[in-house]
Order: sequence, then C-alpha cells, then structure tokens
Amino acid sequence: MNQPSVQIKDAFIDYGELRALVVDDYPGMRNALRLTLTNFGIRKIQLAGNAAEAIFQVKSKPCDFILCDYNLGDGRDGQQLLEELRHSNLISPETVFIMVTAESFYEKVVATAELAPDDYMIKPFSAEVLHSRLESVLQRKRAFHDVHRHLLAHNLEAAILACDEIIRSRPKYMVDALRFKGELLVTLERFTEAEVLYQQIIKMRAIPWARLGLARTLHMQKKDEAAEEELRDVLEQAPEMVAAYDLLSEVCLSKKDAAAAQAALLQGVAISGKTVRRQQKLGEVALANGDLDTARTAFTHALEKGRHSIFITPSDFGNLCRVQLEQGDLKAVADTLRKNKSSLQDSPEGQLVMAVTQGMACIQDGKLQEAAKVLDAAGALRAAGTRGDDQLVLDMARVCMATGRLDEADGLVSEVARNSHDSEALLAKAKRIYEEAGRSDAGAAVLSDATSGVRKLNNEGVVLAQRGDYQSAVEKLLTACDEAPYNPRIMMNTVWVILKYLDESGMDEKRLEYARHYLAEAGRQAPDHPRLAGLRLQLKEIEKRFGIQRAAQA
Amino acid sequence: MKLDDTGFYAALIHELKNNLGLLAMTIDQIPAQNEPVHNEAVDAARLLCQGVIGRLQQALFIYKVSQQQMHPAINAYSTQDLVHEISEQAVALSRGQLKIEVDIHPDVPAIWFLDRDLIEMALINAIHNSLAYARSTIRIEATMLDGCLALTVRDDSEGYPEHVLNSVATNTPYRSTGTGLGLQFARLIAQSHDNQGRTGELRLHNDQGAVFCLVLP
Repeated sequence: MNQPSVQIKDAFIDYGELRALVVDDYPGMRNALRLTLTNFGIRKIQLAGNAAEAIFQVKSKPCDFILCDYNLGDGRDGQQLLEELRHSNLISPETVFIMVTAESFYEKVVATAELAPDDYMIKPFSAEVLHSRLESVLQRKRAFHDVHRHLLAHNLEAAILACDEIIRSRPKYMVDALRFKGELLVTLERFTEAEVLYQQIIKMRAIPWARLGLARTLHMQKKDEAAEEELRDVLEQAPEMVAAYDLLSEVCLSKKDAAAAQAALLQGVAISGKTVRRQQKLGEVALANGDLDTARTAFTHALEKGRHSIFITPSDFGNLCRVQLEQGDLKAVADTLRKNKSSLQDSPEGQLVMAVTQGMACIQDGKLQEAAKVLDAAGALRAAGTRGDDQLVLDMARVCMATGRLDEADGLVSEVARNSHDSEALLAKAKRIYEEAGRSDAGAAVLSDATSGVRKLNNEGVVLAQRGDYQSAVEKLLTACDEAPYNPRIMMNTVWVILKYLDESGMDEKRLEYARHYLAEAGRQAPDHPRLAGLRLQLKEIEKRFGIQRAAQA
Repeated sequence: MKLDDTGFYAALIHELKNNLGLLAMTIDQIPAQNEPVHNEAVDAARLLCQGVIGRLQQALFIYKVSQQQMHPAINAYSTQDLVHEISEQAVALSRGQLKIEVDIHPDVPAIWFLDRDLIEMALINAIHNSLAYARSTIRIEATMLDGCLALTVRDDSEGYPEHVLNSVATNTPYRSTGTGLGLQFARLIAQSHDNQGRTGELRLHNDQGAVFCLVLP
C-alpha cells in the first residue's frame, strides 16, 4: 500500500465496436439506458425484458457488455442470470457484466456474492457515473487479458504467473489480481498457498470476501473449527454476505452439526431466497433433520424459483414428493405429480421419479397390486439405463420389499451402498428400510458386503498414492471403479491418481481415457462437487502438456 | 415484507427517488440549443432534479441507520477512478458554468479501502453545495494526511458560516435540514470508516472558500 500510483497509459477502447445487452423488466428504463449507451458511442445494443430473453440473446449473438437490473420481475433475478450465464459458459471471462440495483442493501448482497458481477450501480445513477464505471471495468479487463487467455486455454499455472505479474507491476489492480489468484489456487487444490494469500489480503484490510476465502481454504484443509470461527465473525461484520451462510452450513455438516447447518441455510434463505441451490440444500438438510415442514417449504420454493432453470432436475420433484409422502399427504403427492406431469414425462429420469413415487404412494395406501405394476415400469426404465438418484433407488427398494421382491430390493440397496459407501445418511436410511421390513440381519449383511470391498480398495489405493506408488494405486482404484461404477468419491480419487501417474511417468493413452471417462461420470453423479473443477483443469493441463488436442465435438 | 409506518414512507421515498432518476435521464436527453434561455432552464431543472435525488438518498440512508447499525461495505478501490468519477459528475452538473479542477497528489496510493458508494454520496453532496455557492472554481483533491487518505472538495465561495464550522468541529447537530443534514450525513459516513483503531473524520474549514475534507484511515 505504500507504493505511489504508477501511471500506465490506459488502452484505447472503441465503443463503436462494443456489443451491448441491456436487461431490464421496465421498458421505460430499457429505452432510457439504450439512449445513454448510444451517447457513449455504442452502436450495437440489444434489449431484453427478462432472464430468459437475455439468455436467448446471448446464445444467438455473443456480447461484450451486459447491463442488467437485479430485479427482473417474476422470473429469475439478475444474480441468477449471472450465475447461469457463467455456469453454462455462455459468456467469456472478458464479457463485462454490470448489475444495476435499486437499493444499497442488494448492492451488499450482490457485491459479496460468490459470483460477483464486474461492478454494480445503485439507481438512480447519472450517465457520467455509468460511463466512468464501464471505462474502468473495460480497462481492468484489458489488464487481465493474459490471465483470461491462459484460463481459456486451461493453462492455470500460466494464469497464476500472469496474476503475479499484475500484482508486481499494476498496483491499481493488485487486489483484484490477488483475488483472482486465490480462486485459481483453490481450484488447483493448493489450499495452503491460498490460505497464505488470503491472510496477506486480510493484513492489508479485513475485507469480507478475503475472510470468506480464508474460511473456505480452512474448511478444505479440514480445519473446521477455525473456519467456523472466521465465518461467524465475518457475518457480524457483513451480515448480508449470503455465500458465508452457504459455506457455514457446509462446515457445520462436516462437523456433523446438522441443526446448525439448517440454521445457517435458513439465514441465507431469509436474505436471498431465490437461489435454487440454496433452497435445495436447505430442503435436503431439513429432511435429514426430520424437519418436514421446513423441507417441504424449501423444496416447493426450489421448484417455484427454479422454473425453467438449468439447476432443476427430476430429482427435485422426487424430493418434494418424498417429504409429502413422509407427511402422509397423499393428496399433495398426487397434486405435485399431476401439475408437473408434462415436464416429468419429458425424460426417462422424470418417468422413473413418477413411477417410484407412485409406487411409494400405493404401498402407503395399501394398494400392493398397483404398486407392483408401477414397479414393473420402473424396472423397465432402469433396465434401459436410467439410474435415478440414490434416494430414489432406495425408495424403489422399499417398494420392492413391500411387494415381496426381496432379491431385487437387496440388489438395489447394495448398488446404492457401493456407490455411496461414505454417505452415512444414505446408509442409515437403507438400514431403516430393512428394520421396517423386519429384516435387520439381512440388511446388515447386504450393507457390509457392499461397502467393505469398495472401502478397502479405495483406502489401499489412496495409501499407495500417498507413498508415491501411483502405478499400483491406479490399478487398485480402477478395480474399485468396476465394483462401484457410480461412486463419485472413488471416481474422483481414480482420476486424481491417474493424473498423478501420467504427470510422473509420461503419456499413457489408455489410462488417460479412463480418467476422462470417470471424470465425466463423476460430473454426472455429483455435479456440484467442489473437487470437479480442479480435476477438470488438471486433466486439461495434462492433455495440453502431452500435446493432445481432442477433436472438437461438432 | 412487513411495512410499519416508517417502512412504508421509506418504500415510498425509494419509489420517488427512482422515478426522479428516470426524470433526470430524460432531462439529460434534451439536446442543448443555441438559445441561452432554453439551456439555462434545462440546466436548472437538471441540477434541481439531481439535488432532490441526493436529498431523498440521504433520507433513506438516515432511515437505514436508524433501523440497524451501519455496516459500510469496505473494498479496495482505485483512488484515481474514484476522483475521476466524482469530477466527471461535477463537470456534467456544472455544465460549463464553473471550472472543475482535479489534483491527485503523487503520494496517494493506487488503491484505498473504503465504501465507494457512501464516500461518493458524501462527496457529491459537497459538490452540490459548492455548485450553489462557488464563484468560479471547484477543486477536487486527493492527498495523504498522517497516513490517511484525505478527499477534499474546495471552492472559492464565501466559505462556511461560523455556526456550521462550530457544530461539525464539536460534533453537535445544529439543525437537521438543508446543508446541515448533508454534512451530518457526511460525518456519519466518515465515522463509519475505521481501521486499526483509527476512525474517519469530516473536517470543515475556510481557506479562500469552503473546504470540505473526508479523512479516511
């Protein structure tokens, strides 16, 4: 902070070439903003009235600058739009996204969100302020051009070096570059370095996002006590920082304090309830806690807020119905299925959710014959390759058991146990199913058979890798993958070990292909897993190093 | 959302503020003509509109402070961009009637930690005052003062009246309308910035005109 400002001449920006998109639900504002942008010399301006229109526009014509109102009426809000655009890679890291907020309260929510816009404006603002903000962000993007270029080429090491260069030579962008570098280090799972970096920023000033970053690196290093302390403290300073509640709930879950996890999510939802994934998580945690009312509200909200969102899957309908079934509210279950019939019938996954849910409703209603009928339909879908999530498969096992198909039930439970050998919640649920059916001993045998083999192979593989014997570790873990073909933990361990092996011993096409396959499958099974992004980038780096260019999938 | 009485008025003010924002943007789009009478009227309308918006923002701010503790959103901002942004607004508001000067001292670091929106609101409010009273020039400065960032708005007006200087110096409110409200608001903003045991300050004095200075640790 003691360096005086160095004057580096700003780059020239040709506004005439800039492609802009204005997103606002109010036509008067859209037109006023279009005129304002025209006065800046921008000639290519598209307009959108809501998130869906904006996504359509971006898909049909890429743009360089999006000016978006946070509040977009009934549909998704501006923050959700931003998350979806970035999540689906619809905009490049070079695209400028400026959020317009009506109140300075939202500004705090927006500015401290995990996926923050490049800048934000508080309404009402003058044309001069918009112009100078846009100019600053465009200049910053220019300064980060090399970082973005390396990121797009999946060359993270080079991107980190480019950040270092900015930190060294451009004091104006030092903190931005540190923030970027921190995220890259976390992606590469270099947590101790990231921890040092966040401490360095905090030493300058304890800004909330740096403290959140620190808490995340502590959590990733399993220092959950310290992470929780940091989070509770930063929430005193910045109570609107929703991302901190999300992380706090993760920390509480890994400390096995599910009640505190639920409390944290409830606080987050109270500040920003539109985020589908926060509602989904709240529903899951509340259901596990046996708080059915909260779970039902959360799952209902997730479906309402997430209408047309990419974050909604058939599992979300299954989750809501599961709560309604546990509440014994068969009428609500029928309602949910009826209202969403068309979207569920759209995909085999949705059809499986319908069949299993109907089966559960039938056995609650004592209609065993009907249950057997929908079970056949579910079985046919599974035979054709539709898996269903673990909860759904366990529900199906329950229906099988109630209708006397014991072998089929054991097979389903065993599959879930092999693929989720480390999920206590699922294993406990499986155990309960056997207890209810009066088959506790049989259940114990099925579960221990299923988990012990997988666990042993996995642990042996990890130990071998820690000793540096990557070749044997790869063989062990590939065997584990055969046993448990949908176990995300094991698949990710396998990918990690294969990449280590290739890194040390050089190219091996066949093993590289395994890594690609299991990484893709892990992504399908656990799309939100924090390790995925890092593994994907590590894979890209290895591919790049050995000069492999995968043919574009046209 | 539950609306008690004050909450209702706050929501109403919020709505009015946004409508005035649209009005201001509409006025911006009236082209200047070769007719001083026309241009002066447009300028006056524009300035008045921005002034009322500023006032409503302050009212909302005070409502929020009364409802909960003020948590400034501190982040790293470019000092150069901040001063530039303020001066651009000052130039636009003055519409060539006054000279706007900018001076960033070479000691000033490239970034400083502050709540940009609050600081800009306070500085723009000071600019509005100066626009009303300055004879010919407004000067915006960034300097270092005992390790703190000092952001100054200086004009060549008659200067602040004695009772205003006294009340800010002694931290006592003297009246809660007009200029006084804006200055109290600026003082609250400065004081909400603290770092390593030091608290921000609003300093007013007269030196060939009014000098408004935010000192930020």
